[in-house]
Amino acid sequence: MYGLGILKGMGVTLKHFLDTYIEDLRFLGKGKRTDVAFNLRQSGSNQRLGLFTVEYPEEKIAVPERFRFIPFLVINNLDAEEDPGKIWCTSCGICAKVCPPQCIWIVRGTDPETGRPKPEPEEFYIDIDICMNCGLCAEFCPFDAIKMDHDYELASYDRTTHHIFDKARLSKEFRYWRSIAPTISAEEAEARGGWEHKDVLKEKAKAARTADKATGAS
Amino acid sequence: MTNGDSGLKALHNPDIPVPEELQSTIAITSLDRIYNWCRARSMWPLLFGLACCAIEMIAAAASRYDISRFGMEVMRPSPRQADLMIVSGTVTKKMVVPIVRIYNQMAEPKYVLAMGACASGGGPFKEGYNVVSGIDKYIPVDVYVPGCPPTPQALIHGFLTLQKKIESQSLRTVPWYRSGESTAIPIPLLGPDIIDPRQAELIRRQAEQAAAQAAAAPSEA
Repeated sequence: MYGLGILKGMGVTLKHFLDTYIEDLRFLGKGKRTDVAFNLRQSGSNQRLGLFTVEYPEEKIAVPERFRFIPFLVINNLDAEEDPGKIWCTSCGICAKVCPPQCIWIVRGTDPETGRPKPEPEEFYIDIDICMNCGLCAEFCPFDAIKMDHDYELASYDRTTHHIFDKARLSKEFRYWRSIAPTISAEEAEARGGWEHKDVLKEKAKAARTADKATGAS
Repeated sequence: MTNGDSGLKALHNPDIPVPEELQSTIAITSLDRIYNWCRARSMWPLLFGLACCAIEMIAAAASRYDISRFGMEVMRPSPRQADLMIVSGTVTKKMVVPIVRIYNQMAEPKYVLAMGACASGGGPFKEGYNVVSGIDKYIPVDVYVPGCPPTPQALIHGFLTLQKKIESQSLRTVPWYRSGESTAIPIPLLGPDIIDPRQAELIRRQAEQAAAQAAAAPSEA
């Protein structure tokens, strides 16, 4: 019989339409927009009913931990005991060298007293309209100082004033990195030997060694 | 945004007080607001994709993200019926000619959304021999959406940013109700390299300078 396929297809649509009412009844009073209801709708489970459209500005799909968007610079927590807000970047420039579209621009800082370069960037720019979110900078950074952000809501009206991120705009606390990527940051901390910056840990190890030697000698 | 009561509440003019219980049924508003409200909620995008960003644009139009919630589902295949041009992907020098032509054919009011790194600033191909580094060199861009490619949610955030821009416009100042014809953007010339006719004078001057220098150089040698 002709038209049976069309009827079958329409039947599926009708079933989904009716399912939306059943779903409304199921979450009656509890709200359709609760996390439980949303996660159930987005999951692949056979309990899922009705529409699975993400009503974006009101509800958002949680991004996976290894999601990559624009890079950001890690700084010490602002309420840290030692060096609050100190940037982890040592301006070695490896990220700028490996960046495939060359969107990173670093100005190395100099010590005003001695005139010698210091391991801290004076300025750090990323043109986020060039960045291709590849994550190579984060991959190559020997100090775990540049990481890929999860914030994707960056649309704006002007490219030159809003989309060339400077150091202040890029800097985010270490706490933020731990919150968006708990597993990765834990793995990195294990490889470094602690939660602090690599150089701080090295200094600490050195101090501990000299203390050991001093006690051994005496 | 979602329509319904929140949409009606968005229409209210805050200068005119309306009782709380009537706010979901009555709206007292200005012409500007209702005009912009209607326009912002029926943006019809132009149907064309240039590169991988187009796949994300299609995903945004499909049922999971469903831009028809914003009145945007009618992707028009004709520039005469479209309000919004989504430049989704790498713009090659060959492609910029039809893009400018299509932009000129769109009826006012028209908006351009540069989607992704390539359309906004050239992205990884910004120094390529055959790629235009940023569509904003040729046509005015209203919203830039970064990302490579932007996820459907990032693109929808771009749409919402555009809606905010539309809602801030006023009938008194919009260019398409002013007298006189709007000027078309000159079509770029595709030769060995792409040439923007607006810069022809500059290019000519530079070429003359280069020629003069070349003529001066052998006499010294």
